[in-house]
Amino acid sequence: MLILSMLGLTLTGCAGWQPPPAGFDDSVLRVRAVTAEVRGVKLNAAVLSSGDSQRMFGANINAAGVQPVWIEVENTTGQMLWLLRSGTDPDLFSPLEVAWSFHTSFANETNAQLDDHFHSLSFQNPIAPGTKQSGVIFTNPHQQSRLLNIDILGQGQLFPFTLFLTVPDDQTDNHAIALDNVYQLIEAATDDYQNTDTFRARLEQLPCCASSADGNAAGDPLNVILVGNFADIVTALVRRGFRNSELEFDNAQRLYGRPPDLVGRKSAMGGMPANWVRVWVAPFRNQGETVFVAQAGRRLGWRLKEVENEDLMLNPNVDEVRNLLIQDMLYSNGLSKIAFVSGVGPTSPGELRGSLGGASYHTDGQRAVLFLVTRPLSLSDVQILDWHPALKLREADAVKELENDGN
Amino acid sequence: MAGKFNTILASISITLTLAGCASSGPVSETEKLDYKSRAITRSDGAVLVSASVLSADESHDVYGVALAKKGIQPVWIEVENGDDIAYWLMSPGLDPNFFPASEVAEAFASTHEDETIEVLDQHFAALAFRNPIPPGTRVSGFILTNLDQGLKMVQVDLVASGKHKSFSIFSTIPGFRSDYRARRIFIRELYTEDEIIEYTDESAFRAALEALPCCVTNKDGTRNGDPLNLVVIGGLDDAFPALVRRGWRPTEQTWSGSVLKMINSAMAGERYPYAPISPLYLYDRPQDFALQKARDNIHQRNHLRLWLSPIRYHGKDVWVGQISRDIGSRFTIHSPYLTTHKIDPDVDEARTALQEDMVYSQSLVKLGLVKGVGAAAKDAPRRNLTTDPYYTDGFRGVLMFDVHPTAITDVQFLPWEGREGGFIEHSTQQQ
Repeated sequence: MLILSMLGLTLTGCAGWQPPPAGFDDSVLRVRAVTAEVRGVKLNAAVLSSGDSQRMFGANINAAGVQPVWIEVENTTGQMLWLLRSGTDPDLFSPLEVAWSFHTSFANETNAQLDDHFHSLSFQNPIAPGTKQSGVIFTNPHQQSRLLNIDILGQGQLFPFTLFLTVPDDQTDNHAIALDNVYQLIEAATDDYQNTDTFRARLEQLPCCASSADGNAAGDPLNVILVGNFADIVTALVRRGFRNSELEFDNAQRLYGRPPDLVGRKSAMGGMPANWVRVWVAPFRNQGETVFVAQAGRRLGWRLKEVENEDLMLNPNVDEVRNLLIQDMLYSNGLSKIAFVSGVGPTSPGELRGSLGGASYHTDGQRAVLFLVTRPLSLSDVQILDWHPALKLREADAVKELENDGN
Repeated sequence: MAGKFNTILASISITLTLAGCASSGPVSETEKLDYKSRAITRSDGAVLVSASVLSADESHDVYGVALAKKGIQPVWIEVENGDDIAYWLMSPGLDPNFFPASEVAEAFASTHEDETIEVLDQHFAALAFRNPIPPGTRVSGFILTNLDQGLKMVQVDLVASGKHKSFSIFSTIPGFRSDYRARRIFIRELYTEDEIIEYTDESAFRAALEALPCCVTNKDGTRNGDPLNLVVIGGLDDAFPALVRRGWRPTEQTWSGSVLKMINSAMAGERYPYAPISPLYLYDRPQDFALQKARDNIHQRNHLRLWLSPIRYHGKDVWVGQISRDIGSRFTIHSPYLTTHKIDPDVDEARTALQEDMVYSQSLVKLGLVKGVGAAAKDAPRRNLTTDPYYTDGFRGVLMFDVHPTAITDVQFLPWEGREGGFIEHSTQQQ
């Protein structure tokens, strides 16, 4: 029975692969491609639509749960470069792995041809000085728009890129507008704090929470501040598995009279949404750098439990999510400093503070301030700033708890 | 073969007996504390870290719910901080997909109608490891991780401002067969002092690596299998923590129970992180240690097998390994289990992907390539023991680790093979 079913699996799907007509015209991709340059390394990248992958590969790779991304790297530096694919997606598919899913039984020649074709179109390292290398990498799918992180390694230096790519088959106009909006808001931020004390004071004075659309009800707490270059912040989040994903549920939260400018979600096993970071561009800067005011939260309910959008609700333990976001960012290679400021306002022990949609939460009232940089950093490089003594207070509490436990 | 069956039967009956014991009568306090007595302690300066992984029964006793059924495994950790600063324990270092206590409370609140979520939440929060660890104190508690069977690599990262301490502890989980082998390896019974060859000269070391056998073999050593395409320099303090940080987990040894589970999982296309890994041979023994990085389901996982060699380099252990990427399951008559993994014939791809991934591990100091596998062209591929074809440029990937954290840009290339040390032109790969 078992063997019969195994054979059944192999025998299905004998449609047969046909090689696409030779000479795929990549100008379609170039039109859509986003371009960036870092210290003599030029990058072009675009996500393939189902139509593109059919024309290029002779198979709809997108339908197989793979998101093909076309990349072109031009190396005008004097050194050999290597694209670290793990920085884009640690769970990347190999070209022959994708090809194998289109193999058919008893068709060795066709299968070999298919393998060759997929291999020849894939991105190949290294990128020699003065050359241009292009090809496709096979990533796990992102919806709506793709925050593409590309790390290119040279001798003792990294050329990091963060691009925002549209996902052609899954594009809603709203999303492109939202992204343009973020850039405009970043440009528009005026007050630039040069002094740490005044910057800190400004962060403390921010409202505790978002509000409802009519401004009458308080929303979720604004418990995280992200400071840095926009690309660095996004890179750190992407490296730790956050993806851009905005749900209708997020739009109920308002700050500066608008819904979140961007929402990142960290998907759990099986693609379930687990944690979120909702961000708003602040109308001020710190030493020229962009400041995001953010909410770190988690939906109520077990991560493997399926929920409909209308069932989404804030988990009361918001501090836990905030603290775990700090820990996650410590492993991003991009976190340089951590600080805490007050401003959310603590809830009394046993008290729950209400938020939108019937949700409620408890908190110690602290905001975490995370400073992100481009230079890759290790765990021992992260500095904890002596702003609000949140950690010292927690340390004192911990000592008391241990004494009470008789430890 | 008969012997193998007897072992399997014996282990099944042992499991059944243990299950019987667990459900009969109350568990004594001593039994409850068993996990503490088998905790393994490691120290760095004035900081001591102990860890122990709970079996399914133990976690049921401690938490009062069947955590293992939901794929959750508590790790008990105790930190004794003799330093003059406070440390914070980083949960994502143990398991990038660990479970916060409140989330697990919610998972069980729906199944235990008599208990409210608040009660479970408080209970689980009280058991959880609470940061920080103030100077001069001892803090203990549980971190909830994804379930591993047999053996778990517990990676403890302690962070303070501008400071980081890293500990790694291999913890065996009662009731699994891999306990015995793992213990043997880590107390280093494999080689006598006379058998150990210590190298400090780089070129002599390189020659020794080149002279290693090309490939794994079958049990009798009569047929060659997959290429030995990895050399890992380091061990418990540096190489294994790096692998854990990037999501690699030890596997259960192949035995009948997990084979059945794997077949079920292949049928349903479900994610099953403990697919067995079949034995391949080097030094007349199966792999000392097997790891895998599970992705969305059983059809997509990378396999890594390691053998401790008698070679040491500047005092560090040298492991010889084999890595391949599974791109699917297929039917075979070359395995007693009738199914096998179809490997990516471009085996160098998996080796390169591991090297790239380890650059992000914070513990890799050097990487490079060394000869020894022997090239196999794409149009004249070699075959592994289950007759899967593969082709290769003939190099082994070399990964050297160190306990001190290293940023991406500080990773060095060994000037051994390839241009500018380690870079292999693609055109030469396909010859």
